[in-house]
Amino acid sequence: MSGALAVFGRELRAYFFSPLAYVILTFFVLVQGWYFAMIVAFLADPRAAAGRPLELFFGQTIFTWLVLIFAGTFLTMRLISEELRSGTIETLLTSPISETQVVAGKYLASLTFYLFLWAPTLVYVAIVRWFTPVDWGPIAASYLGIGGIGALFLAVGVFASATSKNQMVAAVVTFFCLLVLFSCGLLENLVNGETAKKVLGQMNLWQHMDDFSKGIVDTRRLVYYASGVGFFLFLTSRALAAKKWR
Amino acid sequence: MIEAHDLTRKFGDFTAVAGVSFSLQEGEIVGILGPNGAGKTTTIRMLTGFLPPSSGRVTLGGRDLFSGTPDAVAVRRDLGYLPESVALYPEMRVEEYLSYRARLEGMDRTALRRRLGEALERCLLSDVRRQVIGTLSKGYRQRVGLAGAILHDPKVLVLDEPTVGLDPKQIVAIRELIRELGRKHTLLLSTHILPEVELLCGRVLILDRGRIVAEGSPDQLRERLQGQVAVAVEFESAGDGMAEALAQIDGVRGVRPDADRPDRPGRFVVEAAPGADPRAAIFRLAVERSWTLVELASARVSLEDVFVRLTTSDGRDAEQPDSEHELAGEAA
Repeated sequence: MSGALAVFGRELRAYFFSPLAYVILTFFVLVQGWYFAMIVAFLADPRAAAGRPLELFFGQTIFTWLVLIFAGTFLTMRLISEELRSGTIETLLTSPISETQVVAGKYLASLTFYLFLWAPTLVYVAIVRWFTPVDWGPIAASYLGIGGIGALFLAVGVFASATSKNQMVAAVVTFFCLLVLFSCGLLENLVNGETAKKVLGQMNLWQHMDDFSKGIVDTRRLVYYASGVGFFLFLTSRALAAKKWR
Repeated sequence: MIEAHDLTRKFGDFTAVAGVSFSLQEGEIVGILGPNGAGKTTTIRMLTGFLPPSSGRVTLGGRDLFSGTPDAVAVRRDLGYLPESVALYPEMRVEEYLSYRARLEGMDRTALRRRLGEALERCLLSDVRRQVIGTLSKGYRQRVGLAGAILHDPKVLVLDEPTVGLDPKQIVAIRELIRELGRKHTLLLSTHILPEVELLCGRVLILDRGRIVAEGSPDQLRERLQGQVAVAVEFESAGDGMAEALAQIDGVRGVRPDADRPDRPGRFVVEAAPGADPRAAIFRLAVERSWTLVELASARVSLEDVFVRLTTSDGRDAEQPDSEHELAGEAA
């Protein structure tokens, strides 16, 4: 346990000491701010259909997804591949700490930084609240969705990072895996098979986020994210153990 | 203290380490000496629990490093390891890095405070403790790696090529430090530099092509080397009493079947006493007993071969065409 905490602490510091994190943070805030401003401007126009700005912000548009996929890719690509490349993995894995602890520490650090990325968006909530009463339920649900889907994406990224010494390879693998994970749910309307339709429908992340933004929380979806996280982190620790065998 | 039982490691078809066994007693300083590519790093990686062997076992104080149980993880606490690459995190400060290593070892705050100062001092790092690792010279980084390895006061310290890539002044400093550490820890170090083991180690294992070709104190090995000759003898077919008859010849010290060619039972390796050349006598013996002799050649003693490669600057430039008489000598 203390080993996992040590890894977690080091990784979190590494995020805040690396220029990449600040580049990501800057673009994240810029893109989100610009996007939020657009929504507000759009809804302020009397010709626009009535809508809630935060609902639009979290669901129903592609922007949330671009942010999620890029964040999932960039935040994780370095995590393990860097240790494999530089050789620090050797001292790490000869310490009295298991692969599972290493993976847990690293993953939690990326999740923490990811949640930190979203923290500035609370300002938008505050802004909206300033001008109009808000319904807190959907907002909490939206953040839950952002957290859950983000957690799943990061787990995929951590796994990809353990498969290659090369950060770019890890990033590309993550990016495509996330694209597949995201878009397979969208195929729901392109298949005819009853079962396939049902399965893909359950995996439709777009629909998930849409519902979260409206305040609908379906626990099956949370279970889906949690089991996805468990699955990919398990694969990661296996991949890390397998590295030794080659 | 630490024991390697018949370690073998294959990478695909390539056998990097073949059946290596040895053990370190408490307080010993043992050197693994071998030319580049002999399998030193592979052996060390197995000993430290990083690389699982294809077959064989490693035990530290009787506990198996590859049992797959939580104990196999916990037992690594008794081990301090400086890998050949000395990979560190360049963005961290020296002190910060060492605290991280300490926490990985499960040390608490009080132990850390006490041990950190000591490790910094012993590795002469006190004046750079606040410096970012990426800005340090190679010599300093080597010492940071060493400090990280001794921080938790391990029972066994394993150093892989600790002086490689350093300038002469730094080499002297690191050797001094290693000798100092050897007083407190059981120490295993690998090197391809002959004088280094003579300077530091009480016992030497010579590794070549994945096998231990000799073992002993530096003095013993030197003695063994002087003028030793071996002869490869092959008869058309194996017959009764061949080995015994060969052993009777004057100047012959030992006879054994050629372990490298188990497909040829009539093949023997004859070790001669220093200065003796038993080839003519072997020929006469063959004629006398009507054994058909198909090969009689003086073979280079592999130990000597290894030493030649070790004593030349880098070991690369003395690469020999692969002689088929590689005599895997038994330990002295």
